[in-house]
Amino acid sequence: MNIEKRVKKVLIKNALKDIDSKELHLDSPLIEYGVGLDSVATLELVVALEEEFQIRIDESEITPETFESIKSISSHISQRI
Amino acid sequence: MSTVRELFLSSVKNFPDRTAIVEDNKRVSYRELGSMVDSFSSFLISKGINKGDTVAILLPNSIEFVIAFFSIASLGAVSVPVNTAFKKEEIAFYINHCSANLVITQEKLKPIAMEAVSDKNSSLLVVKGANPEWVFTTAENISLPEISIEPNDEAIYLYSTGSTGKPKRVSRTHLNLVALADNHTETAGWTEEDKILFAVPISHTYGFGNFISSIKIGGLIVVLDVFNRNEVLDILEEEFITVFPAVPVMLDVLAKTYIAEPKDLSSLKLVISAGAPLSERIFHSFFEKYGIYPRQLYGSSETGVISINLGDDIENTFNSVGRHVRNVEVKILGEDGREAGVDEVGEITVKSPSMTRGYFGLPEETKKVFRDGYYFTGDLGRIDPEGFIYIVGRKKFFINISGNKVDPSEVENFLIRHPKVKEAVVLGITDSDGYERVKAVLVVDKGVSKKEILESCKDEIAEFKIPRIIEFRDELPRSPTGKVLREELK
Repeated sequence: MNIEKRVKKVLIKNALKDIDSKELHLDSPLIEYGVGLDSVATLELVVALEEEFQIRIDESEITPETFESIKSISSHISQRI
Repeated sequence: MSTVRELFLSSVKNFPDRTAIVEDNKRVSYRELGSMVDSFSSFLISKGINKGDTVAILLPNSIEFVIAFFSIASLGAVSVPVNTAFKKEEIAFYINHCSANLVITQEKLKPIAMEAVSDKNSSLLVVKGANPEWVFTTAENISLPEISIEPNDEAIYLYSTGSTGKPKRVSRTHLNLVALADNHTETAGWTEEDKILFAVPISHTYGFGNFISSIKIGGLIVVLDVFNRNEVLDILEEEFITVFPAVPVMLDVLAKTYIAEPKDLSSLKLVISAGAPLSERIFHSFFEKYGIYPRQLYGSSETGVISINLGDDIENTFNSVGRHVRNVEVKILGEDGREAGVDEVGEITVKSPSMTRGYFGLPEETKKVFRDGYYFTGDLGRIDPEGFIYIVGRKKFFINISGNKVDPSEVENFLIRHPKVKEAVVLGITDSDGYERVKAVLVVDKGVSKKEILESCKDEIAEFKIPRIIEFRDELPRSPTGKVLREELK
């Protein structure tokens, strides 16, 4: 499975439990689904990404730009693995 | 020892050279802390603060918070810690409700604090940031005027979230706080050798109870202004932390955090979980990763610490909040008011020397929950044959977000102010991980998006109150009498 698909899977499982996965595209602004509004929820998403990709993500890397969309998260992760 | 000032001075006198507080690279000894408190107290007097005045502390966990609290208490004035996660209107509510004479804050929060005090008779003092108006010093020979502080004088106002739409003010006296620290530390067996890490806010009753207990025993406290999991893990190891008060979500996050090298947390002897129920999954996953079981503590803004699970058989009692702490009585009462038998479920009631006398300005509400010397917690529970308390539910109507209590009606009142929202119902739902989440069910004008609703919340209400789930409906389900059928909206 490619990085983007894995990121989407983690997002659906951890942060976007009430949405239909078909409506979530690579460029969909995640802020529209509340991602990034709540720091605890964001942290839960980050640890889930760490677990999935076996990488350490520092708090300083958690920026609105990085968490803008599946594409931006995937691009950030691809530089780390 | 019967006042906060005496509690503080006892540690300054007994442990002058021990480190009291660590924040980033700054370390302050008890001697230095004593001197800084006297110096700041003297400055507060010059600002016109006297016994009985109210001073809001709008600061994160920090050395400045600690100094501000003990300085205010040294003058016989009353502290009001305000959560820095709150937004303008929320902060304004607290400042207004307690008629704060002064608000002590940091530069970062100055704009929002200024707006909050703009039409009030409160002044503002910035003590943290690049350009503070007061720099904490360790000046010698500060002599404070004699101030007579009685054990029953008020020392702090905390706020309790209920279902009344607005937080309720709880006053705790000097004696209440000293009793809390005595009973908690003696039960848990803390000494001056203990090192306690505060990632939970000390402005909140849970963090505050552990904070004042730590100072009472002359312990070392490390303060973190935000929960940063990698920093927490580094500090636990590098500072040889012995006690770590946390909320379940922190433990969950730490258990899931990827660490390349194992951490040596062998100094850690007590990991406390409070604020929300600890799930079996988190209990085990934290142990598997770090080799120590979290133990539940139970308390409230009204009473301070009620119980803590220090039992030997923690694997089988992990879901218990433990036995009552020293000098605190816990009774389970049935619907008919009679005391429940062993393992029989009823309402948990508490009698404690650290509990408040009631809610400010709310005689009816006070009468309802403070009866015959007991506080009726609104929690449902049972006590097993060994005296272990188990919480099994609650009668009160609020949503518990990682230990932050959210009053649904407060969020409803906010959402309904949006020009395109016609009706709003807010409720708590439990997700597959066992966490409570805020859900809003809205009847809205055509064309409004969830994004628009979320953005309207962003700078107006604390983030833990923002609905995680928003559902639009054409109409709300109602009973024949017009009452919204909330259960159908979950």
